[in-house]
Amino acid sequence: MLPTLGKLVKVRDLADEIKLLRVELLDGRSEAFKTCQPGQFAFVSAFGLGEAPFGIANAAERGPEVDFAVARLGTVTTGLHELGEGDIVGVRGPLGNWFPMKKFQGKDLVILGGGIGGAPLRPVIQHVLEHRSNYGNLSILWAARRPDLLVFSDEYDEWRTAPNTTLFLTVDSPDEGWNHNVGLITQLLEKVSPSMENAITITCGPPIMIHFVTKMLQEKMGVPPKDNYVTLEARMHCGMGKCGRCNLGEKLVCVDGPVFNMEEVGKLLETFL
Amino acid sequence: MSNSPAPNKQWKISRIELETWLDEIAVARTLIAPRLVSGIFLYRHVTNSSEIAWSEEKSESPHTSRPILSSKEVFFPPTERLFTIQKSGQEIHLEENYPNWETVVFGVRPCDARGVKLLDAVFMDTIPVDSCFARRRGNTTLIGMACKELNSNCFCTSVGGAPDDAHDMDIMLYEADGEYLVEAVTEKGRFLIPGGEWKETSETPPKSTSNGQFPIPQKGKWLEHFNDDYWIKISERCLSCRACAYVCPTCRCFMVRDEMIQPGEFERIRCWDSCGGENYRRVAGGHKPRAEKGERLRNRFYCKFYYYPEQYGLNAESACTGCGRCIEVCPAGVDITEVLLDLEKSV
Ligand SMILES: Cc1cc2nc3c(=O)[nH]c(=O)nc-3n(C[C@H](O)[C@H](O)[C@H](O)COP(=O)(O)OP(=O)(O)OC[C@H]3O[C@@H](n4cnc5c(N)ncnc54)[C@H](O)[C@@H]3O)c2cc1C
Ligand code: SF4
Repeated sequence: MLPTLGKLVKVRDLADEIKLLRVELLDGRSEAFKTCQPGQFAFVSAFGLGEAPFGIANAAERGPEVDFAVARLGTVTTGLHELGEGDIVGVRGPLGNWFPMKKFQGKDLVILGGGIGGAPLRPVIQHVLEHRSNYGNLSILWAARRPDLLVFSDEYDEWRTAPNTTLFLTVDSPDEGWNHNVGLITQLLEKVSPSMENAITITCGPPIMIHFVTKMLQEKMGVPPKDNYVTLEARMHCGMGKCGRCNLGEKLVCVDGPVFNMEEVGKLLETFL
Repeated sequence: MSNSPAPNKQWKISRIELETWLDEIAVARTLIAPRLVSGIFLYRHVTNSSEIAWSEEKSESPHTSRPILSSKEVFFPPTERLFTIQKSGQEIHLEENYPNWETVVFGVRPCDARGVKLLDAVFMDTIPVDSCFARRRGNTTLIGMACKELNSNCFCTSVGGAPDDAHDMDIMLYEADGEYLVEAVTEKGRFLIPGGEWKETSETPPKSTSNGQFPIPQKGKWLEHFNDDYWIKISERCLSCRACAYVCPTCRCFMVRDEMIQPGEFERIRCWDSCGGENYRRVAGGHKPRAEKGERLRNRFYCKFYYYPEQYGLNAESACTGCGRCIEVCPAGVDITEVLLDLEKSV
């Protein structure tokens, strides 16, 4: 459980109380992340306070540095927010499974991110943009409670201008300058209604959002459970299938997940809600 | 030293020879054995054989008392330092602290040895190997003592064990008429046997009384009854005190955190935790799965009899060793055997 040391080479505000930490792994250890796949996560240490799991927020193609989007919620995340460029963190990973991007080739992709749930979806978007011709249409539905909670807003132009790529934004409570959709991501989904003929859907956000989005995709839009992907969050302390905390029935989110399709989720003895 | 089976060899020794042997072991290695500590029995370091808690002091058929906590704590301590952290300015230095002393645990019950084997499945047989556990396990030899019979809360025979099961030991002792038959089970155990001094024997070990077997519900039963109200009913009296998990030889949930040793110096520790705790699964944003006590107690039973065997590909039916400690310790009278019998009966 010994982490690799990494230097913060970039720290910036992504949204209210959410920071982007860009880590350069030391001691020649960036190799381990070269083969990292979209959807995987890692534990990041704020030494002296502890470590916590975070989705790896960039594609390996955008490496060798590793990005994390960290929302400040408690002890470790506050400790990480207090660090600055040049400070040392610990990184343990990559861990968990990933989105089968090869299998998605030739398909349209519909990506639904809610709040900080967008973090593990950014490497999917980046991967598609890097290999644009391998994939069909890319629709990104991006949601947050407020405009100042939308993550990666400075990259929206890159996403919008990529071929066959559309970005849709929505917030629950708009501010004055807001000229995009207002409402829940499910309402946006219904309004946009992307073609699901040959599509894979990928959802990440709070459990309640995942529940309603995947339900709508299946029941109203005819997405088969096996093409309806999610990434789940469960409290975990080791990420290696030992500490026992993250089980959903007989599955361990850390090693059997965090990526599941709804066919697999449907078979779980316990609900993720 | 390898865990491969030793060529079947046995010796017969007296109580004096046993004590002399243990005294010699205690000089060269760390000897851990049942010891009376402030009124309770625990597996603890002993400096010589006289500190061991023999259940009938110097009587004709001495046996060791069974500790309240299982031998799990030898390999997976309640609190364990994973590494230390030195911080000065922007410099960070980490250092792992591996236990590297040779240890012998004496007086291990078959159910406890089995518990250790079941922990192997999680910490050593499933990749990645847990280096702290593996190091302790590799350095430790288990000397078991066969039980004569099942105690009042024991049910090892129902979950695939037996009071005289030597499988998971390195050395097994069988007591009869004040003498001990010593069996070297593994090569590692054989290594501890003094050469030439002991009388070899070809006697077969005495059989223990193995009664009281009951059927354990099969996988189908567990699947069928997951959503029953039964779990809520049975948990009404549970206090969520988690004592059952701490005494269990196979409960292995842990949490990890950093503690300050002194300014600039920290340690990352892991300590025992349990799925019975209310905030055990609380995640960022306040979402709190398994908020109901019934869901948590259910998880404990399902983990033992369904999840753990599935997750770690055990060829055992369960991760319960039948030691009965959880029954003894529960202040609210939650009884795992009652749950198993109820589930087996249910339609
Ligand atoms: C696979 C995975 C990927 C994640 N990805 C991201 C990400 O990309 N960005 C991000 O900001 N957050 C992410 N999280 C959540 C993040 O791990 C928690 O916010 C973090 O652990 C809180 O730690 P803390 O010490 O600051 O909080 P604490 O002081 O421990 O507690 C604050 C809150 O966080 C919850 N929490 C504590 N530990 C965990 C844990 N290990 N897992 C989940 N919740 C926990 C607590 O129950 C409490 O509600 C992810 C979690 C998982 C399991
Ligand atoms: S020991 Fe008894 S009361 Fe305590 S958590 Fe276990 S079942 Fe509940």
